[in-house]
Amino acid sequence: MLPLPTFSVLSPRAVSDAAQMLTDHPQARLIAGGTDLLPSMKYGLFTPPTLIRLGGVSALQEISVTEAGGLRIGAGVTLRAVGRDVRVLSLYPALAAATRTIATSTIQAMGTLGGNLMLDTRCAWYNQSTFWRGALGGCLKCHSAPEGAICHVAPKGKGCYAAHSADTAPGLLLYDAEVELVSTRGARRVAVAALYGDDGRDWIRRAPDELLTAVILPPPPAGRVVHRKLRARGSIDYPLLLTAAAFDPDRGPRVVVSSVGPRPVELGGVAEAWEAGGVEAVAEAAYKQVSPLSTHVWPAPWRKKMVRVEVRRALEAAISGV
Amino acid sequence: MPTEPDDDLVLTLRVNGDRRRLLIPANRTLLNLLRQDLGLTGSKHGCDVGDCGACTVLVNGAPRLSCITLAAEAQDAELLTVEGVAVGGALHPIQAAFHEQVAAQCGYCTPGFVMALKALFDERPDPTDAELNEVLGANICRCTGYTKILAAARQARERMNGRST
Repeated sequence: MLPLPTFSVLSPRAVSDAAQMLTDHPQARLIAGGTDLLPSMKYGLFTPPTLIRLGGVSALQEISVTEAGGLRIGAGVTLRAVGRDVRVLSLYPALAAATRTIATSTIQAMGTLGGNLMLDTRCAWYNQSTFWRGALGGCLKCHSAPEGAICHVAPKGKGCYAAHSADTAPGLLLYDAEVELVSTRGARRVAVAALYGDDGRDWIRRAPDELLTAVILPPPPAGRVVHRKLRARGSIDYPLLLTAAAFDPDRGPRVVVSSVGPRPVELGGVAEAWEAGGVEAVAEAAYKQVSPLSTHVWPAPWRKKMVRVEVRRALEAAISGV
Repeated sequence: MPTEPDDDLVLTLRVNGDRRRLLIPANRTLLNLLRQDLGLTGSKHGCDVGDCGACTVLVNGAPRLSCITLAAEAQDAELLTVEGVAVGGALHPIQAAFHEQVAAQCGYCTPGFVMALKALFDERPDPTDAELNEVLGANICRCTGYTKILAAARQARERMNGRST
């Protein structure tokens, strides 16, 4: 049995209460669905003294239409509810599709959209039991990493390359979505494109006292957005590679690739590649730009080759509307 | 509302129709609450990290992996475990189908499959094969290879919709 460490629990009912608790208990962690947090705590990756439960905050569980004609989705809406909402299905089909690829149907019924966007970065050397990690002396990301710990992915590097694995992020980035972050100091909005950082230990640009309360989507773009997930099995697995492509007939394509580093990355030079050689040239540009590391059990060279394939497939689907 | 963290909490819930009130540590999982505090060992302790589905129970009708659910999440909730699926001593059609199709070898995964399918049938009485597959994909069986489990799920669907199999 993997026992949970000892902790205490707070159960706010309102967003303002949750923000106050987070200010009063700076070491606390937020828990919504718990589908990533509790396994990580069972693996001893971190041991917060307090958990602040968001399940009782009903204001986080609403989906509403914004004045601009987009959607505001509460961070506590389950992935299943997002994937089934008729407004999400008609306006943002790539978001609905992404939620349906996450883990399993049971986990989709537990996990939340906010939780998915806050998902910890993952690495084959990090998401292991205390015993397993201890045999290697930990790593840079491990909470209890001893002095002299190294990154097993890039032993000479000083950074952490743990992979961003939030399935909903690439599509939301292409929909130009924002998130709302709330603290006792007030509320602010951050674009999903600016939410993540370049180090797997400090991957989310959120102040410690802020909680993510909602995802705000502008009216959908003219073209189609397509989400693709590469994984070992058709169920349960975290992504080996995430690809999202958008195609607007007037503005051309956009491509986001994720699960190859600490944040989802919108590829550069896509418009130029598209002008020069269409889908194949964009796929080739993606292949040259993206270099997966050995953060996954599956080999990095194969995942690099699949960047070309997945980008081609995603972009072809976005163009054809299939 | 208390703003100091609780190390222990008083939990009130209904389990298979019975009202229960317990004092538990805050770090108790729902699975350990069922197995250790309530003696309901039908929900199985498999992977312990939410991968295998053997611990699946229904909380207010929705499937949950009880090994990665805090017992605190079940406050004031209606809980259904595999012990509560048969009514009046008669097997539920899902259970009967697993029995008739011999859809178990070691049987350790069976309660989780029954509960995951119960959640599906309660919500969609006549699911498609694709919907059955999606739900079966949430649970791991290392003995049967799923063929008989799918056969049982289909048989349960046909019987519950008044069609002969």
